[in-house]
Amino acid sequence: MNHAKNANANRERFLSFSLGSEEYAVPLLAVREVIALPEFTPVPYTPTYFLGIMNLRGQVISIMDLRQKLGIKPGLNTETAVIICDLNGASIGVVVDSVNTVLNPDSADVSDKPEIQSNRPTDYITGVYRKDKKLILFLDLSRSLSLEDHAAVRKSAEVRAPKAA
Amino acid sequence: MDDFEKELKLGFLEEASQLLADAEQCFLALESNPQDGPMLDKIFRLAHNLKGSSKAVGFEDIGVFTHRFESFLLKVKNGEIPVTSSVISLLLVCNDHIRSMVDTLKGDLDARIDSSALMERIESASHGEAAESEPVAAEPVFEEEIFEAPTPEEVELIRLVNHSFDANSIDAGVEMPAPVEAAPVIKVAPPINSVPAPAAHATPAPEESIRVSLARLEKLINSVGELVILQTVLREQSLSSNAHLLRKTIHQMGKVTKEVQDISMSLRMVPLRQTFQKMQRIVRDTSGMLAKKVALVTSGDDTELDKTVLENISDPLVHLIRNACDHGVESPEVRQAKGKPESGTVKLNAYHQSGKLVIEVKDDGGGIDGARLTAKAIEKGILKPGTVLPEQEAIHLIFHPGFSTKAQVTEVSGRGVGMDVVKTNIEALQGEVQVETVLGEGTTFKVILPLTLAIIDGMVVQNEGCRFVVPLSHVHETLKPAVEDVKHTTAMGEVLLLRGENLPLYRLNTLLGHKKAAMKSANEQIAMVIRYAGSPFAVLVDDILGQQQVVIKEVGSEIQNLKWMSGSAILGDGKPAIIIEMNELVKPAKRGAA
Repeated sequence: MNHAKNANANRERFLSFSLGSEEYAVPLLAVREVIALPEFTPVPYTPTYFLGIMNLRGQVISIMDLRQKLGIKPGLNTETAVIICDLNGASIGVVVDSVNTVLNPDSADVSDKPEIQSNRPTDYITGVYRKDKKLILFLDLSRSLSLEDHAAVRKSAEVRAPKAA
Repeated sequence: MDDFEKELKLGFLEEASQLLADAEQCFLALESNPQDGPMLDKIFRLAHNLKGSSKAVGFEDIGVFTHRFESFLLKVKNGEIPVTSSVISLLLVCNDHIRSMVDTLKGDLDARIDSSALMERIESASHGEAAESEPVAAEPVFEEEIFEAPTPEEVELIRLVNHSFDANSIDAGVEMPAPVEAAPVIKVAPPINSVPAPAAHATPAPEESIRVSLARLEKLINSVGELVILQTVLREQSLSSNAHLLRKTIHQMGKVTKEVQDISMSLRMVPLRQTFQKMQRIVRDTSGMLAKKVALVTSGDDTELDKTVLENISDPLVHLIRNACDHGVESPEVRQAKGKPESGTVKLNAYHQSGKLVIEVKDDGGGIDGARLTAKAIEKGILKPGTVLPEQEAIHLIFHPGFSTKAQVTEVSGRGVGMDVVKTNIEALQGEVQVETVLGEGTTFKVILPLTLAIIDGMVVQNEGCRFVVPLSHVHETLKPAVEDVKHTTAMGEVLLLRGENLPLYRLNTLLGHKKAAMKSANEQIAMVIRYAGSPFAVLVDDILGQQQVVIKEVGSEIQNLKWMSGSAILGDGKPAIIIEMNELVKPAKRGAA
């Protein structure tokens, strides 16, 4: 993945967080804010990891559980937090077990993900960072949440701004 | 280019668009009454205004072109060139050309546009027409072209130009509206684009206005919406308090908040005038292409509606108008044979009715023949052979995708992609289309729209502890059904007997995918009867919590593909609720039953 390497050239910073016992990180620039788990309204006919919609100061945004999405058992701590991310101009809330720290990794410590035979899709992992014997995986959030799958979204968005043929 | 100059130029472009729209109206009016002297004067003034302003702010290309245009107009005005249809067409082409220049410049203030081709056409038109119709006057015109000597008209023109530049707005206002940009007043009064300058009479001091970007307006409206919600929360909390002063203050604040909300919503409202004016042109071009005579009569063009709705309604309206000209109004021969006036009339009317905006497109043409539509539908394989439909349903066939009755597909309309798109677009705006037709007398299309998209009246319902909002306009009535009125059938599911009608009855629980965990008896629940675009049905909900105005909030793109969810609203306690589009929600249920 070139992405991780290019990013390191500029010493990109990452926000690391825990999912269960594992540690992940996303580019800090994609993070708008971190909030405590708010009340949310479930939306029927959505996958289980799609928790629902929430009110973020007057804006209604979707909130998703990244642990459920990636098939990770939730941790036992009570620091559950929501990272509000900015993905292509739209905000999405992502539930994680706890938010840890901001990383400023040295490019020498970051490598491409190892070629591992796995039946799980791994394309959302953009890089691997080793820090003090810990392994931190860099995530491409929109891929990890399969937002591309929602291509139909654009279509319905067009109906909202119609153009007569 | 400094900011001031840039603002000046942008202001001019805005104003120019308005002037061009006015001018187009005048051309069309002139065509119906070629001897209309005052109208010609008005056109001349508009062109003159445009020329003066464009030169003043430094758009040389427009200035040079409008100068030629103006010279040509002057000849028309002085009767040297008779007002014929071809002259009007040329004038319209010129108008279009200036508009395209203005549009190009809006994108790039330094753009250069070549108008030489059109200028030659104007030249040759002023030659040709003059030579043909007035052989006596031909020679001086010819001379003028060769020697470039100013004719008396041009001398007069120069005098007028100088006059309007030397004397400032004060004195020019009596004779002609001063070019706003040319006068130094701009520094205090920014250009006004929403108020078209009344041309015929002396201008009274216009209401001052400023232009604001739509994005800033949206932000304001969003914040006001938020304010309203917080105010509601505050009021609810104050109810548990005994501080009288606090409650009184909150009550007063509520009034002010409501007022602020009303004002901020009205900021988005714009009159239909410009859209209606555009239609004049559409009718002219369409009827010309079809060799028909059609007059467009508009009324209610002061009616205001939300800018977003307006933008999205324009295309469907164009389509309806074209259809009225093409499919509605008959050819002059047919009309004469029927004893109707040779020229058809299309009426475009807008008015408010019970909190909605209604736009009517009414033609006095042949009407829609339900039997012919049915025959056509059978021929196209849309209906099974031998189907007989009730008249109203047959007429609705025109909204069927891929349906076009006109045997001949014309350039104007009838590519078979028309009416269904119109319907979809209008429904996307939370509106509906109604058709009324009388065979031989004409057809009326009624487009019924909400005044704004941002706020709707909603009914808040509760189901399994979750709250949902149903647009009030979709709910026809609500009732507590008696046990004996609900019949279960294996073939069709549950049926509600309502005053002689048998309505399909769905449960919101099931519709939302909850398993039939606790099937409550129907009489513990409330049935909402939905009669909105499509066959009526009833939905059982646990409870109705109330009615309230809700501000529609868009949801993230991840879930916008859920068609049954038309958005969300933040309720009084700050939690979001889903706005349900019942018609979409029952669709899979209907398929399951069929």
